[in-house]
Amino acid sequence: MAGLNDDAQWIVMMGFVVSFSFFFLAMLLNQSTVVGQTTAEGVLEFPKNDIRDVRSVITESSTLSLSDADAQVIKDDIRTIALSRKDAIVDYTITPPTGSDLYTHISIHYNNGVTEYNENWTSP
Amino acid sequence: MVNDNGQLYTIEGVAAGMIMLMTAYLVLGATSVYTPGDTHISDMQLEQLGTDALRMMNTPVNGTSKSPLQEIIENGDTTAAGNAFNTRFLDYVNSKADGGTDDLHYMAEVTYRNITDGGTTGSYHLADNNRPLTGGEHPVRVTEWVIADKKIGSNIQQDRAVLVEVLLWRD
Repeated sequence: MAGLNDDAQWIVMMGFVVSFSFFFLAMLLNQSTVVGQTTAEGVLEFPKNDIRDVRSVITESSTLSLSDADAQVIKDDIRTIALSRKDAIVDYTITPPTGSDLYTHISIHYNNGVTEYNENWTSP
Repeated sequence: MVNDNGQLYTIEGVAAGMIMLMTAYLVLGATSVYTPGDTHISDMQLEQLGTDALRMMNTPVNGTSKSPLQEIIENGDTTAAGNAFNTRFLDYVNSKADGGTDDLHYMAEVTYRNITDGGTTGSYHLADNNRPLTGGEHPVRVTEWVIADKKIGSNIQQDRAVLVEVLLWRD
């Protein structure tokens, strides 16, 4: 670069700075759509209706005041059908009111291989 | 002797050109296209509609009566039960705000546990609206658990949990 006039190096450097800032802004724009997509996919994969459904049938069964044997039949129904038709493992334990504790407690477990959901439900 | 003035300008020009190309590539790559893989987003609405309809059917009118869906299950695998389900379900899913009717089709099955057969699952066809599945539809599956007091897959009448499954589609 012999004899090169090296005035105006600032202008050249500023050109690079502006170019690179455009480049990084474009990268941010690119990533932002991917973030939205993965979030939406996460929402879609969550089995909201399956969980609400199984919660409601379990709490309903706890209000029927069944004998232990009858409650076990319903529990076996729910577990067998959930495994064969929903590919989900469901288990729950109902603790009826005892002594000073006036509330029914239910511990619900749900796992379909992607989503695991556990809940301790207390009767209102 | 080649005149080597302006080498810096050449290098800068090449670098700026590459940066502009890269930027254009990234910006074009950032646009999202509505591909067939994304059609499940519109299915969510149909799924929610069907779930809501089944939940309404499984809600008793008061604290002592049984829900319509429970009564339908207790009627078993009969034509009357199928007709009752058909009338109520189509009324719920095909109602539109302007008073007209929508054109959704469905097929409903009931799955139960067969105690007499060693705890395997059995199922029976509950109802449909005379539109057999041809395989070209794009149905969604909606389900509702029902507790019914009935002999289902056993010899004893008692409270049993069964799963009502509905395939719902629009064509």
